[in-house]
Amino acid sequence: MNRKQRVLPILKQHLHSILYSLICLTAATLFSLLFREVIPEGTSNISAIYLLAVIIISRCTVKYIYGIASGLISVIFINFFFSYPYYRINFTLDFIVNLAVMLAASVFVCAMKANLAKQENMIKERERQLSEFKIEKLRANLLRAVSHDIRTPLTGIMGNSSLILEKGSILSETEKTALVTNIYEDSSWLLNMVENLLTITRIKGDKLSITVNEEPVEEVVAEALQKVKKRYPDSELRAVVPDELIMLPMDAVLIEQVIINLISNAIEHSGSSEYIDIIVRDTPHAVIFTVRDYGGGISPRMQEGLFEGSAYSDSGVSDAYKGMGIGLSICKTIITAHHGTIIGRNHSDGAEFIFTLPKE
Amino acid sequence: MNNKTKVLFVEDEKSVSNFVVTMLEANGYKGMSAATGREGVSMATSFCPDVVLLDLGLPDMDGCEVISQLRSWSKTPIIVISARTKELDKVTALDVGADDYITKPFGSAELMARIRTSLRHSHPETPDHVYKAQGLEINFEKRTVSICGRDIHLTQIEYRLLTLLAENSGRVLTYSFIMSTIWGPYIDDNNQILRVNMANIRRKIEKNPAQPQYVFTEVGVGYRMIENENV
Repeated sequence: MNRKQRVLPILKQHLHSILYSLICLTAATLFSLLFREVIPEGTSNISAIYLLAVIIISRCTVKYIYGIASGLISVIFINFFFSYPYYRINFTLDFIVNLAVMLAASVFVCAMKANLAKQENMIKERERQLSEFKIEKLRANLLRAVSHDIRTPLTGIMGNSSLILEKGSILSETEKTALVTNIYEDSSWLLNMVENLLTITRIKGDKLSITVNEEPVEEVVAEALQKVKKRYPDSELRAVVPDELIMLPMDAVLIEQVIINLISNAIEHSGSSEYIDIIVRDTPHAVIFTVRDYGGGISPRMQEGLFEGSAYSDSGVSDAYKGMGIGLSICKTIITAHHGTIIGRNHSDGAEFIFTLPKE
Repeated sequence: MNNKTKVLFVEDEKSVSNFVVTMLEANGYKGMSAATGREGVSMATSFCPDVVLLDLGLPDMDGCEVISQLRSWSKTPIIVISARTKELDKVTALDVGADDYITKPFGSAELMARIRTSLRHSHPETPDHVYKAQGLEINFEKRTVSICGRDIHLTQIEYRLLTLLAENSGRVLTYSFIMSTIWGPYIDDNNQILRVNMANIRRKIEKNPAQPQYVFTEVGVGYRMIENENV
């Protein structure tokens, strides 16, 4: 089975080469015959026609054999059809010179071809190594950032629960409720992190594999808002979608995650409990989504490399923005995979994140 | 004393099945657990539980296989519990006969609500003539729909869609189930027509289509309508 699989393409290549050689030689012969009819005395140019055919064959077939064989056949044809005496093989000096030129040309082209293929392989190999190295580095950075990000809430969960286990008897009910609430919040944060990690596992090479379907924009927005509401019951969200139903090609699960990440960021990092606006606008070629908060805005220090995030940098993670980097860089990855754009900027009264998805 | 509602939980993770059984007992149910698919099927045959909670990732057999074995002789509601985020798995489980699904991790309130809903649909005490929830009222006999007393005019298809969801309120209905119920079994896989009709219904009954009150979307799976309060 395995051997058959290996032999088959090689056989196909050879068949292809034979066919190719035959076609080229026939074309050269027909052309030469025509040439002889038109200008009977110009037969010396015919070697040039055959030489061209041999060079083309040597370039486009596998191995040396087809080039050399065509050279040989060409010399015989020239001698037989196109040089005096016609229709007879005649060993003259011309014959030997023709033969030498044809063979030399064919061998030269074939050698060049082999050399070129070797170099191409080398370049490909080097590129592969380079991209593997890059991905490896990306992965390592990501893992480092993620482990750090996960350790923070886990510390909270373990601390709070061990306190209840050891000192449960002397804690008041309200104290216990507060501790359990902390545990619950930390674990729901972890859950969100896991959702983001699941997305990363879908990144192959440096591309995200997405399954695109036509989805109604309002349904995707509605489900995202519902999930945010479940995680932050006190959040105040205002959503505006166009009156017209928009069907947009997208990976709904991933776009939902982008919206959830952006709203969660607004809730956790804006430092304000004001409304958060989610606005969808329809334009002829794209749909524009805006998530706007009315808080402190994005500080200049964060603005730099906002979407590259702490997760992808070597410089370590700052505790102040736990998990923010990874969330935004995932948003960027998802939107880029959809051929869209995403920006984060300040407006007069807070921060807004705007992403667009093309309709095509 | 012994006529508590029996809930069978099929799950191989010991820690999860412990807390769910505790949760069930705390809410007045009789909780039982099985660790494998085979054990689950045999326990279902001997104890005849009122509801089966089934984890899809079992070590010995595929969750969907368990569903079809149970469905061959029983109409007991089956709620699928899945850690998988793939929409397709949920849809497959629902299409082979599961009544509803819930995604891990879940809270106590969410699970209890799903159990109540599935119990209600398996034992309809009185056939509902009226659906009522948050001001929305559907009268199945008079074929009228109103919100806070204001009549809503729906097309034939929209009315049938809405009543189908209302009759199964609280449960998720898959696209393919809705499509074949409303448009017949020969409709093609393209659910565009359903999406468009749902968008029209949303514009007629919801205040804000992006923050619906009555009909919720489960992207990639189907639609779920808010519970009937009139029971």
